[in-house]
Amino acid sequence: MHISASSRQRGALAVLAMPAVLFTAMMVVFPILYTIWLSFRTAPLGHATQFVGFANYAQLADSPQFWNSIKVSLTLYVISLAMQLTGGTYLALLLFQAKRMPAILRSILISPFMVPPVVVGMMFLIILDPSLGAANWVLSLFGIAPSAWLASPEWVIPTVALIDTWQWMPFVALIVLGGLQSLPPSVYEAAKIDGAPPRLVFWRITLPLLLPTLATAAILRTVDLLRFFDIIYVTTQGGPLNASDTLNIYGFHIGFELFQFGYASALAMTLTAMVFGVVLALNRLRRAIDW
Amino acid sequence: MTAQYARRVLALAVSILLPISAHAASFNWQKYKGQTIEVLVDNNPIGKVIATNADAFEKLTGITLKVDIFTEQQMRQRLVTVLDANSNQIDVFMTLPSREGAQFAKAGWYTDLTPMTGDVSSSYDFNGLSPALLKAATINGKLTSIPMNIEGPVLYYRADILRKCHVAVPATLADLELAAQKIKACDPSVTPFVSRGLRDALPYTYSAFFHNMGGQYIVDGKSGLCSPQGLAALKLYGDLLRQFGPLGVVNYSFYQISSLYRDGRAAMAFESSNELSDVMQGGARLGDTGVALLPPGPGGSHPTAIDWGLAMSPYSTHKGAAWYLIQWATSPDMQAKNQLAGIAAPRASIAKDRAVQAWLKAEPVRTQWQQAVSELATTGTSDVGYPIVDNPESRQYIGDAVDNVIVGTKTPAAACGAADASLNTLIAKDGG
Repeated sequence: MHISASSRQRGALAVLAMPAVLFTAMMVVFPILYTIWLSFRTAPLGHATQFVGFANYAQLADSPQFWNSIKVSLTLYVISLAMQLTGGTYLALLLFQAKRMPAILRSILISPFMVPPVVVGMMFLIILDPSLGAANWVLSLFGIAPSAWLASPEWVIPTVALIDTWQWMPFVALIVLGGLQSLPPSVYEAAKIDGAPPRLVFWRITLPLLLPTLATAAILRTVDLLRFFDIIYVTTQGGPLNASDTLNIYGFHIGFELFQFGYASALAMTLTAMVFGVVLALNRLRRAIDW
Repeated sequence: MTAQYARRVLALAVSILLPISAHAASFNWQKYKGQTIEVLVDNNPIGKVIATNADAFEKLTGITLKVDIFTEQQMRQRLVTVLDANSNQIDVFMTLPSREGAQFAKAGWYTDLTPMTGDVSSSYDFNGLSPALLKAATINGKLTSIPMNIEGPVLYYRADILRKCHVAVPATLADLELAAQKIKACDPSVTPFVSRGLRDALPYTYSAFFHNMGGQYIVDGKSGLCSPQGLAALKLYGDLLRQFGPLGVVNYSFYQISSLYRDGRAAMAFESSNELSDVMQGGARLGDTGVALLPPGPGGSHPTAIDWGLAMSPYSTHKGAAWYLIQWATSPDMQAKNQLAGIAAPRASIAKDRAVQAWLKAEPVRTQWQQAVSELATTGTSDVGYPIVDNPESRQYIGDAVDNVIVGTKTPAAACGAADASLNTLIAKDGG
């Protein structure tokens, strides 16, 4: 009798939850399925779509612009992630040891990632303007030749990576700080008794113990970095000479400027697969190094 | 005899004016009172005029007007989404015939406005609209939009710097490069010449160089970007911006160019006539700037002249009310108002308007600007990029070729050779 009542209760709960579940499924599943469906079709403006098999995927495999966008995305990903993990860890160590005003320091620290990326892009567009911006003016005070920054095919990716690092390094630092605060004090006490120097403590104890935290931070940043869009859209739109044309920017350009929705959907699915693949790999790595 | 003559003149005047005033009185602006229409406009000065004067339209017609205002790219994205879904949500929209005219016409997204041009108030003067722009907006015999403005790139130059450096206003394309050289030697603190370098934006300015050099985008069904004239244009534009342009010019569009010139850091700027008010903002450039068309080249003078037009969705369920909005927004009255805000009217008659005359006379630079705009209205071509369905994509290849030359990664021949291969594919697709 009791079991039956519980089962009835579960059934009622399931019925009550059904609208929310269906709504969520529609909002998440439908766009993905629709994009997959569209990636196998051509969609001329104002006319019905037509099935083209794998033609859109074959087109991207043949496209030098697609391979350029993969190269740009991965380069930007590696440079940005390396800078953010290294800088974020260093910043977290400083904060961990800060004795004065830690709350104020943390508030200042989180301010960059509170700023919308579009505002960040606009801000740096003005600062880094080669003719009117403050960055070259500061360089000139030290007798250094002006740089084209975002307008240089060689420097655009490091510059964009720097902008993104300015915004997101504090986010990584906060995650790492949380990790540092949860490390077991007994290990450090033992190291102190053994007389281990601070550098050795960092390399042999802190860093290995922080690896799962760093892997989590890397996963969170990977999702954003591989889909890099907003700052580039505001500052360079993929230029100059496609030097900052990430896969997301390229797909957007094909879809919403040239209106080739079928091909753009194939690009979007490729990007999704790429993000899933890297995140899954990092997740497995995180599990392997967990302690 | 004199009295009889006076009576005849009076009778003639009455016979001319009576039907007009009768028609004006008979035109019923309130015919669609109570209907609601939605217009999609660009967040540029031309589109903003509709948004700021929406109340006046509602008062005149009794039609409720919903104005959706977006930046150009977002406006186009929303428009495509709505029209591709065959939705009647948008009744009227702004369009760039030189860019998407053929593409949207192929998709069937324009209502033919020809039959409606008879249903106008007497003051409308349809025939007063620029014939060249109406021709450009007529695709496969259908009038796809009504011009709201006329614009094209013009040369803003600092008369004081040219005087100081003993440089005459360039009379030919070759003079332009010589002038830039002399300015660079005379005053290194100023950028001698600036124009668009941003890939997708530069075909607007580059096309005038290309056409003045004698180039044609399509010759015998093939791309003409690499023709001898095309190569000369590519070399000149690339050299001018690489040697005499600002650092980072490959990211320059109208915003950066206007800022640089307004700030007094450029001697010559080749930018849209629409930028007059931005360039003159603050008044620093009012007294020292001259305006002219791009000087002619070996191929003559073929300035770029385009317009923003107002079009009607084929899915609109309020086409009568929608036409009233188009008629009102492109009327001589509204276009005279626009002109006072620096938006050149696509009607020659507006320059004779009393308020416009006073505005022009207030500053000599405005008179020069008006002369340049009038000239491009009569001699201009609207070919910004290739006159094909895939015009937006063709602009990308032109932009890539020019940017390669500006940055110096390719020679003009190599840059346009690569572009021509892609452009020939687009042209062939268009033919098919």
